[in-house]
Amino acid sequence: MSQIALFGLIASRLVSVPNYFQYYVSGLSVMTLYSAAVFIGFDIYEEAEHGVFEYLLSLPVTRRQLVLGRSIGGGLRAFIYVGPLIGVSLYVIGAINPLNFLVALFSLFLFAFGVSGLSITIAVMIKSSDRFDILMGILDALIVRLSTAMYPLAIVQASNPVYGWLTNFNPVTFVADLFRWGTGIDSAYFLLDNPLLPLLGVVAFFSFFTFLGVIIYERRIEGGGWQ
Amino acid sequence: MSKKYGNVIAVDHLDLDVEEGEILGLLGPNGAGKTTTILVLATVIKPTGGTAIVGGYDIKKSPDKVRGLLGIAFQEPKMLWVSTPWDIVNWHAKVCGLSTSERKKKVKGVLETLDMWEARRRNVHALSGGMRKRVEVAKVLIQRPKIAIVDEPTAQIDIVGKHKVWNLLLELRDEGSTIILATNELYEADRLSDRVGILHRGKLIVCETPKKLKDSIPGGDIIEVQLESEPSAGVINELKGLKEVVEVVQPKPSNLRLYLNQVEEVVPRMMNLLMRRNVPIKALHMSEPSLDDVFVHYTGLTIEEAQKTGE
Repeated sequence: MSQIALFGLIASRLVSVPNYFQYYVSGLSVMTLYSAAVFIGFDIYEEAEHGVFEYLLSLPVTRRQLVLGRSIGGGLRAFIYVGPLIGVSLYVIGAINPLNFLVALFSLFLFAFGVSGLSITIAVMIKSSDRFDILMGILDALIVRLSTAMYPLAIVQASNPVYGWLTNFNPVTFVADLFRWGTGIDSAYFLLDNPLLPLLGVVAFFSFFTFLGVIIYERRIEGGGWQ
Repeated sequence: MSKKYGNVIAVDHLDLDVEEGEILGLLGPNGAGKTTTILVLATVIKPTGGTAIVGGYDIKKSPDKVRGLLGIAFQEPKMLWVSTPWDIVNWHAKVCGLSTSERKKKVKGVLETLDMWEARRRNVHALSGGMRKRVEVAKVLIQRPKIAIVDEPTAQIDIVGKHKVWNLLLELRDEGSTIILATNELYEADRLSDRVGILHRGKLIVCETPKKLKDSIPGGDIIEVQLESEPSAGVINELKGLKEVVEVVQPKPSNLRLYLNQVEEVVPRMMNLLMRRNVPIKALHMSEPSLDDVFVHYTGLTIEEAQKTGE
C-alpha cells in the first residue's frame, strides 16, 4: 500500500507516460501476486524440515492430486493475499467493462497457479532452500524487470530490442497487460488490440508449469527423492 | 527388502510376513530400522533392494493402491498449516474421504475417547508430548484403515492413557485391521503383539509369538521352591530328570531353584514328585523371562546397550 501511496504517486510525476500512476498500481498488483505465489516453494522446504512431507506422502492420495492440491492451494493463497491490493487497484483505476474485468481476474488466477507450479517445480528440483532462495531472487529480478509490470513495452523496446523481445514472451507481461485491459486503462502505450493472445500465453504458462510440476514432483519426490 | 542411506544400512534384507488381522510388534532400540521399515511400507521412501507387497500390491509398482490401504500414526503430529487437535484430526479425516457430517461426529468421538476434547482448540505446539501423541493416534483411529502402522504410539503418554490407547488398538485389530506396531517399549510389545519381530542394526533377528520367544530361551523360566526340610539327593536328581528342567541349584539346604522351560507344564509334575517323596512345600515362586531377556538372548545386549551401540 505504501508503494502505491508513496512511490507510485511520486514516480508518476517523474514519468512522462500518461496515467502512469494507474499503470503502476496495476503492475504492482501483478508483481505482488507473483511474489506471493512463489512462496509455496519455501513451504515445501519447511515441510521437509519439519517432517510434514513424510505425513503428506503417506496420505491416501496420488502424488498428482497432492501436487495439484499444493499448486492450487499456493495460487489461491497468493490470490487471497493480494486480494486487498487488487481491490485498491480497482478503486484507483476503476473497471469500465465488468466482463473484461472478469477475464482479467481469471487470468490472474491462472497466473498465480502457474507461478505456484513453477515454484514447486524448482523447489523439488534443487532440493536446497538456500539455493532456491538465491535462484528465485535472480528469477524475480529478471522476470519482473523484463516485463511490462513497471514500464510499457514500447519503452523497453526502445531501450534495448533484445529486452523488448524477451519482454514479449514474459507471462508477467501477459497478465499485467490483461489486467490493464480488464480495468480499461486508456493509454496508447499498453492498449491491447487482441486480449486473446496474452490470455493464451497465461493459459500456456499455467498448463506448462502445473503439468511439469506434477511430472517432476512425481519423479523427484516419489520414494524419498527429496532426501 | 533393504534400505541404504549412502553407506549406512538402515534395513538389511528384511524378510517378513505379516498375517492379516494380527498385531505385529517391531521391537528394537532407536536406530534399529523400525521407522525406515515403516516409511518404506508407506511408500514414503523407496527400498534400495527388494520390495514389499502390501495388501496384494507391490509398493514400487502400485504405491497409490498401497497408500489407499494404510493409515499411519507417526512419532509426532506433523502439520504446519493447521494447529489445533480438532483441525489436525478433521483435516486428516477429510483427506481420507469422510463426509462432513460423518467427520464432525467421528472427530468428536475420537477426541473424547482419547481425553482430548477439552484441549481440542489449543495450539498443538502448546500441548504436552503425551497429548500430541494422542492427536497422532487419533488419526489412525478415525481413519480405521485396513492396515494401521503405529510408531511408538504411547511414548510420553501417562500410564492410564497408555492402557486406553492399547485397548483402542486392540479394538481396531478385533474389527479386522492389521496393525504394525513399532516400539522400543518391551511391555507394550508383549501386551499388544500377536507376534513380535526383533530388529537389531537393520536386521530381523527373530519373529514369533511372545510366548514362543520366551520359551525359546533355554532355562528361561525360574521356579524357586522353599521346602519344609532339606531334600535328598535322589529328589534333586529326579527333578533334574524332568525333560524341561535345564538346571537345579540349591542356594540354601531347604531351598531349590529350577531353571527350566514351559513352567506351566512342569509345576504339577514337580509338586506330585515332592508330595510323593514326602517333601512338603513351604512356598513357591515362579517367574518367566521378559522380552528384555529375549532381546538379550538373541542380540547379546540389553535394549539400552543396543541403543547406545546403535547411536
